[in-house]
This record gives sequence, C-alpha cells and structure tokens, in this order.
Amino acid sequence: MKKAKETVMHIVFLVAACVSIFAVALICIFLFGNGIPAIGKIGLGHFISGMDWKPLNNIFGIFPMIIGSIYVTAGAIIVGVPIGILCAVYMAKFCPKGLYKIFKPAINLMAGIPSIVYGFFGLVVLVPIVQNMHGGSGKGVLAASVLLGIMILPTIISVSESAIRAVPNYYFEGALALGDTKERSIFCAVLPAAKSGIMAGVILGIGRAIGETMAVIMVAGNQPILPDSLFSGVRTLTANIVLEMGYATDLHRQALIATGVVLFVFILIINILFSLLNRRSGDKA
Amino acid sequence: MSKFKQAMETYRKRPLSLFLRIVVIAAAVITAFILGAIIIYILVKGIPNLSPELFAWEYNTDNVSMTPAIINTILMVLLTLVFAAPIGIFSAIYLVEYAKRGNKLVNIIRMTTETLAGIPSIVYGLFGYLMFVIAMHWGYSFIAGALTLAIMVLPTIMRTTEEALKAVPDSYRDGSFGLGAGRLRTVFQVVLPSAIPGILSGVILSIGRIVGETAALIFTAGTIAAIPASVMNSGRTLAIHMYALLNEGLYMNQAYATAVVLLVMVIIINGISGLIAKAFSKRTGEK
Amino acid sequence: MKRKKIFTLGLVAALGAMTVLAGCGNNAAENNNASAAQQEDGGNGASAPSGAISVVSREEGSGTRGAFTELFGVEQEDADGNKVDMTTTAAEVTNSTAVMMTTVAGNDNAIGYISLGSLDDSVKAVKIDGVEPSVDTVADGTYKVARPFNVVYKDGLSDVAQDFLNYIMSEEGQAVIAEDGYISQPAEGSYTASGLSGDVSVAGSSSVTPVMEKLAEAYQKLNPDVNIEVQQSDSTTGVTSAQEGACDIGMASRELKDSETGVESKVIAMDGIAVIVNNNNSITDLTSDQVKQIFMGEVTDWSELAK
Repeated sequence: MKKAKETVMHIVFLVAACVSIFAVALICIFLFGNGIPAIGKIGLGHFISGMDWKPLNNIFGIFPMIIGSIYVTAGAIIVGVPIGILCAVYMAKFCPKGLYKIFKPAINLMAGIPSIVYGFFGLVVLVPIVQNMHGGSGKGVLAASVLLGIMILPTIISVSESAIRAVPNYYFEGALALGDTKERSIFCAVLPAAKSGIMAGVILGIGRAIGETMAVIMVAGNQPILPDSLFSGVRTLTANIVLEMGYATDLHRQALIATGVVLFVFILIINILFSLLNRRSGDKA
Repeated sequence: MSKFKQAMETYRKRPLSLFLRIVVIAAAVITAFILGAIIIYILVKGIPNLSPELFAWEYNTDNVSMTPAIINTILMVLLTLVFAAPIGIFSAIYLVEYAKRGNKLVNIIRMTTETLAGIPSIVYGLFGYLMFVIAMHWGYSFIAGALTLAIMVLPTIMRTTEEALKAVPDSYRDGSFGLGAGRLRTVFQVVLPSAIPGILSGVILSIGRIVGETAALIFTAGTIAAIPASVMNSGRTLAIHMYALLNEGLYMNQAYATAVVLLVMVIIINGISGLIAKAFSKRTGEK
Repeated sequence: MKRKKIFTLGLVAALGAMTVLAGCGNNAAENNNASAAQQEDGGNGASAPSGAISVVSREEGSGTRGAFTELFGVEQEDADGNKVDMTTTAAEVTNSTAVMMTTVAGNDNAIGYISLGSLDDSVKAVKIDGVEPSVDTVADGTYKVARPFNVVYKDGLSDVAQDFLNYIMSEEGQAVIAEDGYISQPAEGSYTASGLSGDVSVAGSSSVTPVMEKLAEAYQKLNPDVNIEVQQSDSTTGVTSAQEGACDIGMASRELKDSETGVESKVIAMDGIAVIVNNNNSITDLTSDQVKQIFMGEVTDWSELAK
C-alpha cells in the first residue's frame, strides 16, 4: 500500500515536471503550425527581407521590424547596462546600510511597475524631452531605447548585485592589501570575478527589452520603415503584433503570428547563446 | 575630519579612483532619480483623480469603477496559482528529490524551463489566443487567461522552489530516512516545510507578474468590465482596465488613478515578500 | 562623515541632472523661437505655423482609419483596381485614441484624427472645407467626414437580443446616443420594457464600445433581468464573431466590406471624424485636399499650407 502510494506520487511528480516540456511543445506546435504556412505562402525571403509592410495589399515584409527590434534593444543595452552595473556596484559596495534598506525595495518596486505605466510615463515625460532636443515628434529609436533602458535597469541591477556579492571577499581584501584603492579593487578584482553572473543579468535584460510590447508601442512611433536616425520612428516585432492582431484576418493574421514566430526564434537564439556561454564559463571553473 | 582629508589626498593621487567613485554614485543617483520621477509622476497625476465613485461596486460608464477589475485581478491570481503552483512545486520536487544526477530528462526539463522563462509575454498571448480561445473554442475567457499565465509563471515558481529545496540540508533527509520514513513522507513532512518561505517568495514574484501583465491577457481573457460569472466568461484585470481606459481616450484621469492603485498593489506584494524573506532569514539564523 | 560626503555628492549630481534637463528645455524653446523668427524673415505670415508636420495615424485595419482614408481619398485604386491605402509610411502609428490625443497635445507640429465623441479641449479640431465638426453639422450632412456605427447580427436573433436592438433604435435609445455626442438615427417608435430575461453578448469596435456600454446600462435599468456583456476589440473581430455566432451582436465602426457576408447590419448612429492639431497651431481651417496631401506625405511642412 505504502509502496503503491510512493510509486503513484513519483509518477505525479514526473508528470508535473514534464508539463514544461509539454508546454514548450504546444507553444511550438501552435505558433509554427499557424505561422509557417503563412511564411510559406509569402515566401521566406520576401517575409524576412521584404522592406514593405502593407498588409491590406498583401505585402508582408518584416525586415524593418527586425531591424527596429535590434536597434531598440541595442539602444536599451547602451542606456541600461552601464548604469545598471554601476548601480549594482554602488549597492553592493558603497551603499550605507540605512540607505540600502530603502534603495533595495525601491529597485524591486521598479521591477514591479506594470509596463503600461512605463509606457505612459515615456509618452508624457520622455517624448517631450526628445522633442525639445531635436524637434520632430520625439517618438522613435531614442525615446524607445531610453525607456527600455530604464525598464531593464531593475533586472540588471538585482542580478549583477547578487553576482558581485557572491564573489568571495578575499578578492576584494587581497586587492586592498596590495595597496589598491577601494574603487580599483572593486573594478579590477571583484567585477572580473563576477563577470558571468553580470552577463546573465545583461542577457535577461536583453530578453526583456526585445519582448517588451505595451511600453514600446506608445513611444516608438510605430512607422513600418527602416529607421535612418536616432530620432526616426521605428516599429518593433512586438508592436507589429499588438497593433494589428485585433483587426487581422486570413493571411494578414497568419503573417502576424509568423512575426511572433520570428520573435520566438530570436529568443531561442539568445537562450542558446546564453547556455553556451554558461557552459564555457562552467568548464573554466 | 582627518579621515576625510586622508581620503581626499588619496583621490588626488589617484584621479581614476575618484572618477570611478563619482561614476558609481552618479549611476545610483540617476536610477533613484528616474524611479522617483516615475513614482512622483504617477502620484501627482493619479491621486487627485482618486474618488469614491472609482471604487463603486459595479462598473458603469459614469463611474468607471475599478472594483470589478481589482476583484478580477485577485481571482486571476488565485486561478493562475491553482494551476501553476502545484505543477511548479511538484516538478521542482521531482528535479531535486527524485531525479538522478545527469538524467537526460532533467536536462531537457531544465532547457525547456529556461526557454519558457525567456518567451516574451506577447508570444504567450498569441499562443493562448490560438490554443485556448480559437482551437479549444473557449472564446475570451478567464480560464484561457489563467492557463496562459500559468504557463508563463511556471518557470519562476519552479526555479525558486528548486533553490529552496536545495537549501534544505541533506542531514534533514538522512535523519528522516534513518527514522524509517519513506521518500514521500520525507519530502512532505521534512523537506517541504523547511522550504516554504523560499517557495512563497517565488509565488509572490509570480503574483507580481500576473498583476502587471497586459500583453498576454488582452488576447486571452478579454476586456469585459465585470466580475465573471464563471471561468468561461471574460473579465478584465486592473492592468487591462487601465489599457482599456486609455484606448478610447475618454477616461484618461481614471486611468491615472488606476495606475496609483496598481502601484499600491505592487508595493503591498513586495512588502509581503520582504516580510517573508525576513522571517526566513531569522529562522535559518536560529538554527 | 562618509555618509555626509556621499549625500553631498548625490545632491550635486541631482542638481547637475536637473540643470541639464532644464537647460535642454530652454535650448529647445530658443530653437523654436529662432525658427519662428526665420519664418517671418522668409515672408510667410507671422502667425503661420512652420516646421515638419508630424503625421499621426491609426493602425491598418482600424475602423477609424478605414473611414478616414476612404472619406479623404487617401485610399486610391491602383492599376488593378485594388484599393490601396496611401497613408505616408512616415506617419506615426498608434492603436489608441489616448496616445493619439496625448501625442497631438504634446507636439506643436502634429496632426491626427479621432472620433468626434472622444474630442476634448486638450487638442483642437480643425474645420474641414470651412465646416466645423459638430453633432449638428454631421447630422445635416455639411460635415462630410463621418462614418456609420453598425451593428451586425445573424438571422434568428434571440428574443432578448432583438429586444435590445429594438431599444437601440427606439426614441429612448437614440436619445442616449445623441446625449453621448454621436449623431442619432431616425427613431423607430418608443420603447416599452419587455420584462424579458437572459444574456446578450455584444462584441467589436472599440469606437462603438463606449456608447454601446451606455445603451446597455440604460437598457438594463429598464430590464433588470437582462445581462448585457460588451466586449471591446475591433470592427473586424466584431463582424467575425457575429458571423461565427461567438456573440449575438457585433459592432463595427465602418461600412461592411463586400467579403463580410451572412450577417444583417444596421446603422445605429453616425460618428464624425475630427482632424485634430495642437492647441498652439494657428491653423483652424483645412481643405479636404490639404488633409489628403498631408496624410499622403505630399505636403510635409506646415509652411507649405500657409497662404
């Protein structure tokens, strides 16, 4: 009786563990099943490298959106990563204890603010600033990059902070003992040791930036064109889906799902790169 | 004073160090400045618009009440966790307590979990729409939203539970086995209770994600501003409520007020998770 | 001591950041003034707006956009006779009226369009061919830029749904529509509560949703046993859901397409589309040709419009 119970529960646990495999399989089946036929109909080349997106006239080219997503994500990294890592250094090594008690929950709060709130903040605060700097509408690559940079800050800060804290203290003390200043000890001894953890934070941030939808849609301008400057409007893959999904029928809808497939493949590539990176640093250790 | 002077002297000799210090502090100030700006912006725009009508029991176009949306948010959290929590916790138990090391299945599960964690919410939204709304013929419904979200938060719960289980010292398990308890009993009566705070923190992380989610829900749970009669009906959560208010541009002020309530919800959730973490560290401290 | 130092540094940095931000604002203001001054030198009227026009459009497939492009002739037939939406690709796209209005309200050079029912004083509606957009001008047909709010339904509507429809078309229902800033249709008699009970599901256009919610509330007051659900999505979804029977009544904020068959449709109201500009923009009047040229990207600077 007891044995039977053990076996049954073992199976239950096993099945639960397989749910995630099952879920990924389902997601693949449904996305690819609906997206691939559309790509086939449009032609992979036309779809991926087509410059024009005119769904009502059956022209589906998402190249500008792919580039848009890459630009905006790159911009977010340029804005968010240095500030995030430096801020993590501050929190791990410089922050007075009293301040830390406020700062740490504040960063967690920042991670919890819904993206739609960020989006409106961007629209009403960031966009006018860009507008004043340069003229034009203010929406575009720059506004979207800055907003996404802000949004990925909490991710990068928390992951980097715990990576820095995980570095054994003798790295720091050793460098200090050798006569380095506190700053140099941190930047030359501690940070390199925390490299792989910080990278993990950055990659998580990239994932968040590339997948962000509701905030980007409000500040990016969403023109389906190749951006030619920092101030030019841009449409990301995610924005493309949300903008038109409600209206789309037939091939247009499938093309949007296919846009989701491209996005999914992007994420998979990032994940694979990440696990390769992990494996390599794991081998070294 | 002398310490200060000494420090200044060092910095004069090593300008790079001074520069690094300034950069680090500047980064922290910028972060604090941005966060402050966002919170002040929400409060300034939102608080003047908070009014009792916004919390009337039923939604109509005159009061634009958010009460149904608040209740829906809580219901959505509960329904999602009903699916996600047991599955997440059970799979973590399997991975930590049952699976043998180097098991191929374990590697596959780890890989798929990581994949799930990386998928953007809009892709979850598409998937939920295609599978639950269209293929299963459920239409926009609470259950479609909850199942989509359950898959979305599964990796979070799995990972935190795994960490919590791993943190339970092996001596507990050995002791339990030594007393003649089976594996199942050891897991449920010895290991799980000590891992509860860790598991809870994962659950709370997930709650935060559910509360703030929009993209995955507009295509699955729909936008009806009432408490659903059953799980097959549509209903909007607070974040969707805000999205819907903004959509037509008629209720901007109410949307800002909604943002304040969302913010307060997030603060409460974070506060609870902080309390639990504290309780956890106190307990381990005692041991 | 150390804490004090950090605090001071922080304060300095914060002040610095603020000065930079403030500086940006000032610079930009000066730039604007400078360009305005240049314009005067160029001989254009002192009050003429100048600068590149920021065109803001709705997303492809939106009922508002469909009606707008059709009414202004931005939609043209190509060589094969297909209708092509010629809206300039430089136009910003948004899927939300709120974002549209916030954008235009925050940008002196922006132009966009919204449903007349959503118009408020944060932006300015321009006259089209000399006609002010208002309920009256749309109703008497002098303001041409209007589109129908349609409901669509399949044959064999349930009694409750039919009763709700009767209510919408009655004097009482049309009064609700007029009160909300939309243009009512000829009423079909007055309505008396039926005492029916049941559920009605309505789904579709987000433009029609606000007025439909009002109608549903008024109806439910008369018939407390009826429960009406209004699901906000978009015109196409509304029509498809009605076709598939996923809802009883679909809402569409545009004329039905030729391909959308199998359902009855009924115009419950008309809605004007207001072309909106920033409150600081001195332009109050545009011809429909000018609007067309702006949205097709043929005119890209406000100074080209100044006469």
